[in-house]
Order: sequence, then structure tokens, then C-alpha cells
Amino acid sequence: MGGIKTTSGRIRRRPANEDIAYWATLGVLLVAPTLLIAYKVLVNDYSLAKILPRREYSVTLAMSLDGHNGRARVKTFIPRSDEVQQITETRSSDVSNMQVRVESDQTNRVSIWTGGSVPDETTIEYSFDVLSTGRQYRIAPELQVPEHYSPSLASYLVGSEAVQVDSEEILATLSEIGADQGPILQRLQAIYELTSSFPIRPFKGTTDALTALRLGEASCNGKSRLFVALARAAGIPARLVGGLIMTSGSKRVTHQWVEAYVGGHWVPFGPTNDHFAEVPENYLVLYRGDESLFAHSSDINFDYRYRISTKMVPAPEARTAFGQFNIWALFERLQMPFGLLQTILMLPVGALIVVFFRNVIGMPTYGTFLPALIAAAAKGTGLGWGMLSVLLIIAAVSMARWLMQRLRLLHSPTLAILLTVVVVTMLLSSLAAERLGLGELARVSFYPIAVMAIAAERFYLSLAEKGIHDAIVNLAGTLIVVAACFVVMNSLALQILVSGFPEVLAYVLAANVYLGRWVGLRVFEYRRFRSLLRAEASE
Amino acid sequence: MIAAWKKRLRTLLERRETVYGVNRRNVELVYAHNRRSDYPTADDKALSKRMLADHGVPVPRTIAICEALYELANVMKRLESEEEFVLKPANSSGGNGIVVVKGRSNCGGWLVSGQRVMRQRDVHKHLADIVYGAFSSDEPDKAIIEERVQFHPLLDALSGGGGDLRVLTLKGRPFKAMLRLPTVASGGRANLHQGAIGVGVDIETGVTGCALMGGKPLEVHPDTGVALCGVQMPSWQQVLETASLAAGAVPLGYLGVDILFSEERGPLVVEVNARPGLEIQNVNGAGIGVALAEYAHG
Repeated sequence: MGGIKTTSGRIRRRPANEDIAYWATLGVLLVAPTLLIAYKVLVNDYSLAKILPRREYSVTLAMSLDGHNGRARVKTFIPRSDEVQQITETRSSDVSNMQVRVESDQTNRVSIWTGGSVPDETTIEYSFDVLSTGRQYRIAPELQVPEHYSPSLASYLVGSEAVQVDSEEILATLSEIGADQGPILQRLQAIYELTSSFPIRPFKGTTDALTALRLGEASCNGKSRLFVALARAAGIPARLVGGLIMTSGSKRVTHQWVEAYVGGHWVPFGPTNDHFAEVPENYLVLYRGDESLFAHSSDINFDYRYRISTKMVPAPEARTAFGQFNIWALFERLQMPFGLLQTILMLPVGALIVVFFRNVIGMPTYGTFLPALIAAAAKGTGLGWGMLSVLLIIAAVSMARWLMQRLRLLHSPTLAILLTVVVVTMLLSSLAAERLGLGELARVSFYPIAVMAIAAERFYLSLAEKGIHDAIVNLAGTLIVVAACFVVMNSLALQILVSGFPEVLAYVLAANVYLGRWVGLRVFEYRRFRSLLRAEASE
Repeated sequence: MIAAWKKRLRTLLERRETVYGVNRRNVELVYAHNRRSDYPTADDKALSKRMLADHGVPVPRTIAICEALYELANVMKRLESEEEFVLKPANSSGGNGIVVVKGRSNCGGWLVSGQRVMRQRDVHKHLADIVYGAFSSDEPDKAIIEERVQFHPLLDALSGGGGDLRVLTLKGRPFKAMLRLPTVASGGRANLHQGAIGVGVDIETGVTGCALMGGKPLEVHPDTGVALCGVQMPSWQQVLETASLAAGAVPLGYLGVDILFSEERGPLVVEVNARPGLEIQNVNGAGIGVALAEYAHG
């Protein structure tokens, strides 16, 4: 093989067959998936916007009551699906001695639990998942108040005990703020400005429209009733909406806002939290109308709490839109969990991250796959607990190694003992975590044993062969790369992209092929050879 | 200020073409010149030693090779009469598992480097560990027992405990060299990562240049106080010929040849390495690319 001297002084080989093969491979791996993706997007109407994940709320309503072994009845509104909120996975817990039934009318849905001899400290749980979109409306400025509405809307125009539509004060206020004339938008704006300008008071219980007006301050339900009263007086059908502002955590506080009927749509307004003709994504509608959320037999010491958690999920449209080579559908047919699919699809991406850290940055790690595997395994427990259990096990392994040193055992039995140490450590830490009430750490035993055993063995070998310094440097490098893999592999957008467009994995291959012959200095090597790279070196 | 930075950056961009990182070494030197299936000819020290000896390359005298546990008893019997020897695993890297026995101690044991005493059963256990694979990632291995080479007086004078010479060869021709000297701090080992001193050696003349210990420049050996720069290595032509001969004995195009200077027999090849490290660049104060450019000229 004849070398050609180049200005840089390296021996550069003549372009050989292997170079042609290299560039051809790279070209195919880049062009083919691009063509496939273009075909899917342009011809098959795939939309890249659908790869963005959505926030899904899991809501659990926990109600407690003391039935004194007598009759008890609890009724509450449960949400229904519409174009703004999708309710799935509804579950009602089994409660001994109580039956549950669901009733619906045109606007609302209620769930009623009844029982004959209900014991004390009975807990009823009702849970569901919510995918909600939120919505904004634009009201045409020239839209006038119609002369007639359909008879079905009549009840949304008349007053009630707490919504005093015909009160003199309401009518006077209406003309004072100029909401008694002009187009719908102008009237609603005037009503909205008045009600939202009132200071918010955390009043307990019900505030009627007139009281809110007289006090000039109100809670959300007082403001909403005043809004509804003014709107109805102005000839615009309006109703109260009761629901929940969904934020992670546990809460008793519910919320009320209003809807006004404009141009054939029920348009939401939130005079308490400054929402004009819009409803945010985390508002959950439980019922419409001036209702009480709960009704129950007296004397049962009733209490309730909503527990809300969030997680990111693939948009439902993505699943159905990505029709060709649909691995989602395959996994559903095989009854395998979506989480497993996410892990499998992201492993090549994780491995690429490791390659990048090793070959471009120069970060030492235990093996090429191990950080990606640890990151995949940490999915169940979360990154922090996953890393903690890796450290726990490695600490146990090092301790065992130190203890066994004086026994002078042969190598393979030593490793078999270490595997036992791994298993026992995992069991003990689960036991301890359960006692301490650390649920997440208790799940450390679900952390794949094989991955942990390999990690521990690698650490042991590097401790034995290269000493404590190298072993710790490698461990630190491994943990950093695990964290990077975890972040990338758990990116839901990437997961959906890869499951919708599996050809993206060809790009991953291309990156590996490219890095496979990338001869640049690694970032850490700039430091290692810094004296050679400085200007003084040659002078 | 900006001009100075520009110059710095330009120098860095030029220099980095001549400094070989692990990526470039693997792609352009190791993979380009060494077939993977030939790695054992360097990695397996028993195999490479036989190949070297077959080609007439001077190597340390082999006392025994222990290939399996059942041979242990015989090997131990063979060692009873030996005063000085070196135990090493055929497949290990970084000097792991190598024990240098320096003489008899009382009570039937041996004195080994680092002022330790190994009893009969310690040696037995060490040999068993080697054969079992404790130093070769759990793969069964062979233990080599060979003579302890008496160092050339110059080496003993420099370090008080010998040292070896690493010569890089490409297609049979030496192009870069460095001397590795053990220190008390390195526990008598000639491994740069374990604290040994690296001394650059001019490949043409065999005269030492700058020295480096733990990444820091050094004028004299910390144990002996002897100046390390400007020392003429003994019988340099013979060293280069030995390195070439060794490179021709194994089917590897890119090679690190490790040579001991023995008092009686001149340069002896102790092992060859299919993936020699890159620290030699820092020790010599020049990238491998610089040496390869001169190599292409010469």
C-alpha cells in the first residue's frame, strides 16, 4: 500500500474500494429514509406535528364516609367526553355494601353510590384519565343579539334564586356599564370587565349574583353567577360551569366559570382567572348549571379529595395516522405494553449516545451497551432512584470484594458470589425502602438483575485490574452517560417519531457508520495532548 | 490579543492533524495494518514469544510455561531451584499479574519486587489465578515463567531498577521510541499509567530527550538523581535491527515492540503490542504524525 505524503504529515491512503463502499453505505442510509419519510408525509398525509406528545391527567376522586352501618347515599358529577376533553379509563373502586350506578341527562352525568349497611371509614374511589385540549374562540364584532332563541335555551335566559336576572340593581348595572345595547361582543366585554375587576375573595359556600354585586368582591362562584345574571339580562343565554383546575397534587378546591351561548356555540369565560372566550387546557368540566358537586345523606361525615397526576402520552391521532408498518398496532395485537416498545425502539438511539460520549467526547464508560441498558432499566424507577440503586449495588459489591480479598478465592466463584450479593442487596434495599415508605426505591427489585450484575462485574473487574481511581472515573463517566441516555431515550417526541417513522433508525445507523471512521481528536484528548497542541511546543 | 488567539487556534488546528487520538490510531494505524485475527500473535505473549524465537529474535530465556492446572505441581517443582524469575500471564495488559522474583527469602519463600515476600503457596496461588483467567477477563490463560533479565548497567544507573524501551514500528520499520523507567512510586513497574517515567528517545541516534512523569516534565530521576536527558542508549543500531526483526516475526504492520537492555545479550524483546498507547507522543513532545512524515521521507 503506497503512502502519499500530505502537508499535514500523515500518510493518507489512496481511495480504495473500502472508501467507496463507506461513502455509498452512508449515502444509502441517509437518502433512503429521507425518501421514505417524504413519501409518507407528502403522499400518505403523515403529519410531523402529530409526533408532539400530549399531557394526560390521571384524576382520582377519593371520598370517605362513615356509614354507621346504616343507609348511605353519595352522588357526584363525573366528567363526560366532548370535543375539548377526552375521558378514558374510568374506574370505580369496589366498595363493599354499596352499589354504583351512572345517570346522564343532556348536559351532565352523575354517579350515585348507595348502600344499606355501610360501615364507618368507607372509601370510594373514582378515577379517570383526561386528555384535554383547551380552546379559544373569536367572536365576530358585528354579531348582534338575536331576537329569538330556540325554546331549548329558554332556561338559560331566566333568573333563579341565586342568579337574580330581574333585579333592579342588575338591570341598573347593565345599563351603567353599557351592556344593555350594541353587539354581543361589546356586551360580553363590558360584563367580563366588570366581573373580572372585582377583587377575589376566598369565600366559602355560595355567593349569589346580587351579593357579589353589592360587595364588589367575590369568589369564583359569586363572580360567575353575577356574569351569568348580567349576560342573561342582556339577552345572551349563559350558564355556570363547575369543574377542576388540573395541577399535579391533591386538592379539595373546585372551580367555577361560565359559558355564554354565542352564534351557536357555548363559549367559555373565566372572570376569576382572566379567560375571555377561552378555556385553558387544564380545565376539566365536571358539570354545567348551578349545581352542587356533591350530594350525600346527612350525618355520614363526608369528605373528599381529588388526586391529580400528569404524564406525557402520544397524541391519539399519531397512533391512527401512522398507518404503514405500524409497530404500535403490532404491539397491541401481541398484547405487549407500549412502554416496552418505547424502550426497544430507543435502545439504538441510546447506544448512539454512548458512542458519541465515548468516541467524540472521550468519556470512559463500562461497555457500549451498558449505559443505554441501565438508562432503559431506570425507566421504571426514574433516573434518581435508578442511579441510587446502581450506586447501592456497587457499594455492596466493593464491600464484598474487600471482605473476600483475604479469602483468596478463584475468579469465577468470586463473581458468582458477587451476583448473590447483587440479588441480596436488591432484596434488602426493597425491604428497607418499603419500611421507610419509599415506594419508588422499593421497586428497585424490578430493576433488571442481569443489567445490575453486569454493571457490578464490570466495576469489580476494573477495580481489580485498574485500581480504585480508574474504577471511580469509569463509574462517574458511566453515570453521566446513563443520565444523557435517560433524557434522550425518554423523550416522548423522539419515541413517537421513531415509532411513526422507524426509518429514522437508518439515520442512527448512518451516524454510527460516520463515527465508525471519524478520526478526530476526542474532546478529552485535547486536554491530554494540550502541550503538543500549543504554539510553544515546536519552538 | 485577538491576533494571539488566532495564532493559537491556527497552531492548534495544524497540530491536531499530527497528534493521533485513539480514533485516528485505530482507523489509520491499527485497523489499516493489523488484521483482527492476527491480534493473538501479540496479545498472547506465549504465542508471540515462540514466533519471535523462531525468527531468531533475541528473547528472555523461558523457564517454564504453565498451560493448565494439572501442570502446576510440576512447574512448582521446577521453580524450587530458581532464585530469580518473572511470572507473567500470557494474556494481560498494562503489566497486570506480572511478578518479578528477585531472590530467595528465608523460610523457603521468594523476595519479590516491592520488598514483599511470596511463600511457596502464594506463588502457587498466583500461577493458578493466571491459568484460571484472573488477569485475562476470565478467559483461561497460560502462565509464562522466564528468566529475570540482568539490566545493562546504564539502565540500573538511570533508574536503580531497570526499565524498558518501547519502539513503534510501521511495516517493519521503527519510527518512534521512548524509554520507560520504573520509580519507587510506580512500585517498580515500567507502566506510564502507574507512575513510571517516560523518556523520549531520538529514533535516529538513540539519544534521550525530554522526560515526563505523571504528565509533568522532569530533569532527573527522582530516586537516583541521575540526569535523564541527553543520554546515549547502548548499541542503538542493534536495538533498531532487533525491533525490525521482531516486527517481521509477527504478521502485524503496526506494532509496539518492548525491548529490555540486558547486560550479557544486548537488546531482548519482551513483548509486542498490537495497539500501543499514545502517551509516547507527550513523552517525545511530538505527534505520531510528525514521525510518520519523516518515516515517509526516509
